[in-house]
Amino acid sequence: MSTASPVGEPSGTAGTFPLQLDIDSDTLASCVACGMCLPHCPTYRVTGEESASPRGRIALMRDVAERGEADEAFVEFMDACIQCRGCETACPAGVRYGHMMEVTREALASQTGYQPRLRRLAYRALGMPRLLGFGSRLLGLSQRLGLMRLIGLLGRARPFRQLGAMTASLPRVPVRQSPLIASGDDVWLFTGCVMDAWMRDTHRAVQAVIESTGAGVALPPPRASCCGSLHLHAGLASDTRRLARKVMAALPGEAPILIDSAGCGATMKEYGHLLGTEEARRFAERVQDVHEWLAERVDNLPSAAPGANGSAPLQIAVQDPCHLRHVQQAHLPVRAVLSRYFDVVELDDDGLCCGAGGAYSQQHPEVAGAVRERKVAAIERTGANVVASANPGCTLHLRAVGLDVRHPLEIVAEHLSAREA
Amino acid sequence: MPVGYGRVVASEIEGAADAALLADLRGVLGDRARDNDFERGLYSRDGSIEGSSPAIVCLPTSAADVAQIVRICRQHRRPFLARGSGTGLAGGAVPVGRPVVVATSKMDRIIEVDIANRIAWVEPGVLNLDLSRALSPLGFHFAPDPSSQQVCSIGGNIANNSGGPHCLAYGVTTAHVAALEVVLPSGEITVFGGVDAEPPGFDLRGLFVGSEGTMGIATKAAVRLTPNAPTVRTLLLDFDDVSEGSAAVSAIIAAGLVPSALEMMDQRAIEIVEAFAHAGYPTGAAAVLLVELDGLGGGVEAGVEIVREVAERHHAGHVRVAADDAERALLWKGRKNAFGAVARIKPDYYLHDTVVPRSRLTEVLEKVYRIADAYDLIAVNVFHAGDGNLHPILAFDRREPGVDERVKAAGRDIVAASIEAGGVLSGEHGIGLEKRDYMGMLFSTHDMYTQDLVRETFDPDGLANPLKIIPTGSRCSDSFHQHVPEGAWV
Repeated sequence: MSTASPVGEPSGTAGTFPLQLDIDSDTLASCVACGMCLPHCPTYRVTGEESASPRGRIALMRDVAERGEADEAFVEFMDACIQCRGCETACPAGVRYGHMMEVTREALASQTGYQPRLRRLAYRALGMPRLLGFGSRLLGLSQRLGLMRLIGLLGRARPFRQLGAMTASLPRVPVRQSPLIASGDDVWLFTGCVMDAWMRDTHRAVQAVIESTGAGVALPPPRASCCGSLHLHAGLASDTRRLARKVMAALPGEAPILIDSAGCGATMKEYGHLLGTEEARRFAERVQDVHEWLAERVDNLPSAAPGANGSAPLQIAVQDPCHLRHVQQAHLPVRAVLSRYFDVVELDDDGLCCGAGGAYSQQHPEVAGAVRERKVAAIERTGANVVASANPGCTLHLRAVGLDVRHPLEIVAEHLSAREA
Repeated sequence: MPVGYGRVVASEIEGAADAALLADLRGVLGDRARDNDFERGLYSRDGSIEGSSPAIVCLPTSAADVAQIVRICRQHRRPFLARGSGTGLAGGAVPVGRPVVVATSKMDRIIEVDIANRIAWVEPGVLNLDLSRALSPLGFHFAPDPSSQQVCSIGGNIANNSGGPHCLAYGVTTAHVAALEVVLPSGEITVFGGVDAEPPGFDLRGLFVGSEGTMGIATKAAVRLTPNAPTVRTLLLDFDDVSEGSAAVSAIIAAGLVPSALEMMDQRAIEIVEAFAHAGYPTGAAAVLLVELDGLGGGVEAGVEIVREVAERHHAGHVRVAADDAERALLWKGRKNAFGAVARIKPDYYLHDTVVPRSRLTEVLEKVYRIADAYDLIAVNVFHAGDGNLHPILAFDRREPGVDERVKAAGRDIVAASIEAGGVLSGEHGIGLEKRDYMGMLFSTHDMYTQDLVRETFDPDGLANPLKIIPTGSRCSDSFHQHVPEGAWV
């Protein structure tokens, strides 16, 4: 283990401020501190510190809830959580850690300066497709014109350090993308915000695989542009609710809503709970990860291409996005689809997080990097050259260290088109 | 206790002493020595129900760090206390006397795997299951497998001489530790035991294993590697009657089998475990036995037949043989998470650990239920039936006024009932803080005095995890009882 620390020595206990944590006492008491969560927590794994563990964070929440005040150290400890919810899968007592962390973040965001104005605006931009598209094209152009290197140099100067670190870890963003074209109304394919702006080709591949079963795909209008997942994790739940209403209004009818980003799917399945309305509950029931939908129709998928010269099928290591495995428990359908065509290889890390965590890897690059090292080691132990990951955040985070990571259905689509050719 | 002027002065003196100690520890560890209120709170308890705050938490990364910490503590005459993953159930890692906590969780490297000698050198913070997983491609594992094996550390296993379901056939931790690098309470680093053969002289390695941090801090261990069995069969037997289940346990052993594991669960345990694991445990049954046999194929299959015969003789409802590794893993997942799953009934639990002669299981179990009823508590039983190691769990909600006293009183009665039946205080969780004051039920004053003399040989200043294992009053020289915080067991 490195000497990594989630936050280093916290900034001190001098300044306390009032904080109302609205978590009921039964929920807070539900953790018996048995510690079974510790090895399944990525930040505990790389630091070995109680403050970076679910058990520790719950104890801290309990403490703050009782005292009605917190300090900067508490904010840092809470902010260091990736919200992968691997602890929930491991918890024998069924403690709703994710819910507790969301409530805590919401309290911090609404009662303290936890989310500074600039960051709030950045989150808000995710719900504005034109702005996001424009910004992305600008970013893509800057990357090609070498301007990013300039920002990188600028990043060495203190005031721009965070900007510099962020731009350095960004993927290469496309300048021009051709639009997706709807093919029917059997299912909706939700396209989202950043993923549509940066990785539309993934949607194109997913759409092709859906269509290969004979179904027609409807595409949402631009106003259904963001599910609000990142906002929820940042404690901006009211933004999530606002976006959720827009998304619901834009995807009417009874057709299933298919998601190819684990983080979005996890949040959209929670709309019923978030909005508390019957309409939202009915909407959430229509939401499925695209692999769940495909796994039920796996016989309608084209059969596997005969191996060239009888060679063994390609080996694919499956990296389970946390919000697919631990939140949606929908990781097995990915295997059901992939194993029709490929030799699926499992990682031996019990689905431990890769460190991406939505915006986490941008905000905590050191811890996210240490967590990623464990994942990379697990991938290397499989010997597979291609990694399937059903979440854009994980994909980009792992690609950044040179791994060949693709959406499972991109790999399938490529196989199917090669077969046709 | 009156809270007055004297107490305030005492805490001011303590504060100044803490600051000087922290400065010295920071000199060695930098920001890996912590004294903020939050983190001191997080290291104030382990998996048991007691707690009290340490002065400082240290997070060493090497044996040299640990030796320095111990030397600094000695200079400041401050107790120190090693901690692994903090899952202990007897309060062994609960800080008493405002000590320095030495958390070994950052020391988690597997240093060397030596297949020729069937030994691995590991740091104390390596997690038990991580070690077995790392060894698995080589065909080996580390045999002790406590229920907390996915999170408990090798250092913690050594401190408590931990057991686990598979220790019935393979023996507890001490049988699997060949040598130890130890920081003595003097701050010196030494090695007990040896890899090659049993070294001459007293078996200090054997003495150290199970000493719960009272003789120093292990910083490296040479653990023995056990080959994975070629064939494993796991059977689940269910019974309408607890006494039939207990009788079947004795009958399996009497038939000449030594299963690698022989576990029992009662009805409440079955229900909560099934709710978590969805392993198909029969929730209507009064008791189940989980029996595992391993070895060479022919012997194992013959054993399965013997278990079937015993099951039939004792009117087992069904005998389910796990079809594959996945089904076996699922059954064990349920068993090994039983304790935490108790939170599905009540938010707190007090888990006991006593041993009784196998032949008296039924009788003691009945007593456990009666004791729980008498104190208006819920008892859940999940235990290592094969070696008579009971684990009655008392489920409670600490927010109910007066419940702490009832839980402790019931605990004491359970320990007394076990000893009365010819049993002992603890099977595998250690004595720690929890059972310290019950030592007198089993040992004479003279016995305890002698044990304390051994301890004093290692730790003349009484700084290594003081006030654990041996009750206060065994020696007149105990200088720490005035520091025992309110709320801790004395």
